[in-house]
Amino acid sequence: MRIQTGARTDLGRVRKNNEDCFLMEPSLQLFVLSDGMGGEAHGEVASKLAVQTVVMHCQQSENSRAIPIFGDAQPDVSERTNRLASAIHLANKKVFEMATAAPQHKGMGATVVALWLEGQKLSVAHVGDSRAYLLRSGTMEQLTADHSLVAEKVRIGVLTPQEADASEMQSVLTRAVGTGASVQVDSNEQMLLVGDTLLLCSDGLTRMVTDPEIASTLLTSASAQEAADRLIELANEYGGQDNVSAIVLRVTQKSDGVLERLKVWKRKS
Amino acid sequence: MSRLLLKFENSILREVPLGTRPVTIGRAPDNDIPIDNLAVSNYHARVYMEAGSLVVEDLNSLNGSFLNEIRVERAMLKDGDSISIGKHDILVDEKHDAAVPVDGWHKKPVPRVNETMVLDTQERRKMLEMAAAAGERSQLSPERLRVPTLMVLQGRTDQKEYRVSGKLTVIGNSKMATVRLSGWFTPEIAAQINKHEDGYYLGRGDRVPKINGVPINGLTKLSDGDLIEVGRVRLNFLFRE
Repeated sequence: MRIQTGARTDLGRVRKNNEDCFLMEPSLQLFVLSDGMGGEAHGEVASKLAVQTVVMHCQQSENSRAIPIFGDAQPDVSERTNRLASAIHLANKKVFEMATAAPQHKGMGATVVALWLEGQKLSVAHVGDSRAYLLRSGTMEQLTADHSLVAEKVRIGVLTPQEADASEMQSVLTRAVGTGASVQVDSNEQMLLVGDTLLLCSDGLTRMVTDPEIASTLLTSASAQEAADRLIELANEYGGQDNVSAIVLRVTQKSDGVLERLKVWKRKS
Repeated sequence: MSRLLLKFENSILREVPLGTRPVTIGRAPDNDIPIDNLAVSNYHARVYMEAGSLVVEDLNSLNGSFLNEIRVERAMLKDGDSISIGKHDILVDEKHDAAVPVDGWHKKPVPRVNETMVLDTQERRKMLEMAAAAGERSQLSPERLRVPTLMVLQGRTDQKEYRVSGKLTVIGNSKMATVRLSGWFTPEIAAQINKHEDGYYLGRGDRVPKINGVPINGLTKLSDGDLIEVGRVRLNFLFRE
């Protein structure tokens, strides 16, 4: 299978700094998005350091198995998924160290959502309220559970999703990278199918644009890049209250069937 | 122009300008200042202008409204006062100068953007415990303590029974499949089961599986005893003691 990618980040219409940040590493099939916080320019520092650390750790662990695992390895996911979670644990450590070392960086932090592909197998890991979505056969599912106070209240059944949308507590996160010495990272896995579309985005998108509208934009765009551009434009059209970022991945048919098979045959012989 | 600032911990969550209309505060979403905390009554209090002064009035709330830490039913407000409702504070700011556009453009007033903040672990636990204690549904379901199992009722598989232990369980003839199907036309990934925080979800692969005879539409949560059909294979999803 082949992955077509598109991505964009934008200041939005209100903010003065873009604290969102993303990195795509096609050679590794690794995609990372982060939304920084901490006022002034410190959110930018946090999100940039977070995505760079995740990519660096994954890169190094590809080259050498000897790279240590950070955080507790989970027995119910693959080694690769644990690696991705480990990268976020390391990002937490780095951002936290920087935040505690310099007074001007005190209180900075970031969300991180990351996807790592190995063939058809997708690893997902995240901390915070940036999301990963999977659009498959016309139905869009959120692959990540937001680490925000309102989302956690919805999950334990004391708040309805409607009340959550109207809540003034939407900006209150329950987990973030870099605000504590350690953090709990959520991870999961999924087998990808040809025709799937994946979306990584910051809350600047999901607070402005509803899920059905996101899904229809993904479905009606000609390319992954067009989808990312249109999502950012929609968020801005609806007020652009926050920085907004989107990475769109489309899983397409094996490109050149015959050629691909020849390569495999050559490798085998 | 005067305004009210909703504060929680050290963050200003919302800013509401004061006009001629009363500003309502409460847990119901239709308040001018909604606060989703169970310590807050649906329609808790309101703030309005009366004969040139600003007044706060408690609307017979259960836990009360506090002006500078004293419980009040009705009180006059002045600049700098703080009204406490549950864990939130509402600050009175009468000296706020409305921003005057420098250039000639008429900009639409932009609502204040919430600054993101993070609760520390203890604070988070406290708030969720309070919420859970007040809520009717408990988080603990007995299913969590039992082992999810797939029993093969019919079809060619490599085992008779499988434990669903990982976050991802693949059904198909792929090498990485947990439930390994054989057969000429069996796809590598026929279907998959994903474990989430609240349970196990069946999703499609290159086949659309059925649950109790009905083809699934998107990820579908599995219940104890469900019958799963993937091609010619029939599996029973059970929670084992």
